[in-house]
Amino acid sequence: MTRGMQQMKWGCAIAGVGIVCVLAGTTIGFAQESVAVRAPMVKGTLPADDPSSAVWGSATPATFPMSPQVHWQNRIQEATVKDLTVRALHDGTNVAILLEYADPTEDPDDSAAIEFMVGDKKAHFAHGQPMAQVEGGPVNIWFWKNKDGKGVDMNAKGFGTLKVQGHQDVKAKGVYANGTWKVVFTRPLATEHPEEDTQIATGGFINIAFAVWDGKKDASGELKEKGSQKAVSSWWYFRAEAPPDYSGYYYALLAVGLALGFQFVLIRKLKKGHSA
Amino acid sequence: MGGSLLKPVILIGIVYAILKFIVPNIPGSAPLPSSLIFLYLMLTTSGIVIFATLSGESKDAFWGPIQRFLTGENIGGLQVLRYAVLLLFPLIVGWQTYSSTATSDAPPAENRTIHPAPPGEYTGLSNPVSKTPDAIQQGKGFYAAFCSPCHGGNFDGKGPAARGFNPPPANFSDPTTIAMLQESYLFWRIKKGGVGLPIEGMPWKSAMPRWEVELPDEWIWKIIMGEYDGAHQSPRTWE
Ligand code: HEC
Repeated sequence: MTRGMQQMKWGCAIAGVGIVCVLAGTTIGFAQESVAVRAPMVKGTLPADDPSSAVWGSATPATFPMSPQVHWQNRIQEATVKDLTVRALHDGTNVAILLEYADPTEDPDDSAAIEFMVGDKKAHFAHGQPMAQVEGGPVNIWFWKNKDGKGVDMNAKGFGTLKVQGHQDVKAKGVYANGTWKVVFTRPLATEHPEEDTQIATGGFINIAFAVWDGKKDASGELKEKGSQKAVSSWWYFRAEAPPDYSGYYYALLAVGLALGFQFVLIRKLKKGHSA
Repeated sequence: MGGSLLKPVILIGIVYAILKFIVPNIPGSAPLPSSLIFLYLMLTTSGIVIFATLSGESKDAFWGPIQRFLTGENIGGLQVLRYAVLLLFPLIVGWQTYSSTATSDAPPAENRTIHPAPPGEYTGLSNPVSKTPDAIQQGKGFYAAFCSPCHGGNFDGKGPAARGFNPPPANFSDPTTIAMLQESYLFWRIKKGGVGLPIEGMPWKSAMPRWEVELPDEWIWKIIMGEYDGAHQSPRTWE
């Protein structure tokens, strides 16, 4: 047996058993049960003023359960909104996020908000309240109220620190029909104020949380939900999808070609070695 | 194909089964990432190859059938299997390449430590309230008022306000929550809440309130008693 022949045999065995290994590797799935809002990239203008636009159909809806805010004072034991459906789109420059939820009555004080972390530091979902062992950062809150008819860009770092920003980058529009609120928030993906505004880079997951207030008044004229009395969620994920990238398919094709070539050369050499 | 090939294949199969199904079930262990399993299988394979080629005879016994199979000479009915292998191999290599270059579509993995170590000053504290039916009853009353909206009137973590929170409120009737913990640990968790957790506990996600701003220590100790009693669990002790 020649030396080269022996090496060929080595290669062939490794190829053979390699199949077993690779097969074993691929059978392992990566199941994950985290809920995220995914904003696909669309061409053309975002439906910023039109919550009913057909363009929203290209976004996959994500539904999040909401809790009455019982985490800190003043609490509320029951809130109107139990679930919130969220869709999002972006066009490479701006992002649009559509909140949709059932509310039996349209009231001037009906409100909704989206919350993000700002910068690299983690922030607690409840207004970025201080954490004992972790240095936290601020939260960026996008707020909409029916009677104001606009979006408000705010920051907080702890309870009682909520303030409206000096520069307003958020727009919002709400439309009420058939017992359902649809509210669209829009903002540029990136802004010039990274210390105050969340920056949305495509392809990466960021944290997102929600709050909704039913602005209905009770018999005594008091607002049913206001301030800390609202429906809330804790953190979920948001991602503005990167433009499609097909390089993975090209690499795979190249790998298939190489593997085929390897097999061809191997078997040819084996056959030659045999008859020699 | 000789029986000499069967043994290595079975051996690799067994190693795979152990790594995939048995190791994750060892207490304190976790499922191995596929890349690690792949590495172990590769090591096993090279081990087998080295072993099989140590002596001249075993070398031929080992390589002979593989070589015949790949060249397809005189293998009769195995020809179909040979074509299948020759077709599958490039496809699998392609798939592996694709999945290793594809960007992950899943949100970041949540490797949250549920029971991180408490700060030193809390270890070893014992409940200063004596365990009387009265104290337990009082504790249960406080529990109903402050804790049940999230942790549930049945101590099962399914209170009316639980649904929006991720991670969900702890289920105290589950043997992996308070039954595994000491009273001093609960005292720390209740007093300092979610925001009191160290970084591996991901404090920014927890809705567990920081009760020290609202409840006196004595109430917290009574709640702990009421909580264990109501959930039919007892605290972990080191005796
Ligand atoms: C706003 C909802 C909420 C309320 C109200 C609440 N908790 Fe919690 N609690 C949570 C959540 C969420 C967790 C799980 C996350 C964590 O460990 O911080 C938790 C965790 C805990 C744990 C840790 C269990 C473990 O296995 O580590 C204890 C103990 C606890 N809560 C006790 C209480 C007590 C006692 C009260 C009432 C005084 C209370 N909680 C009120 C939401 C709540």
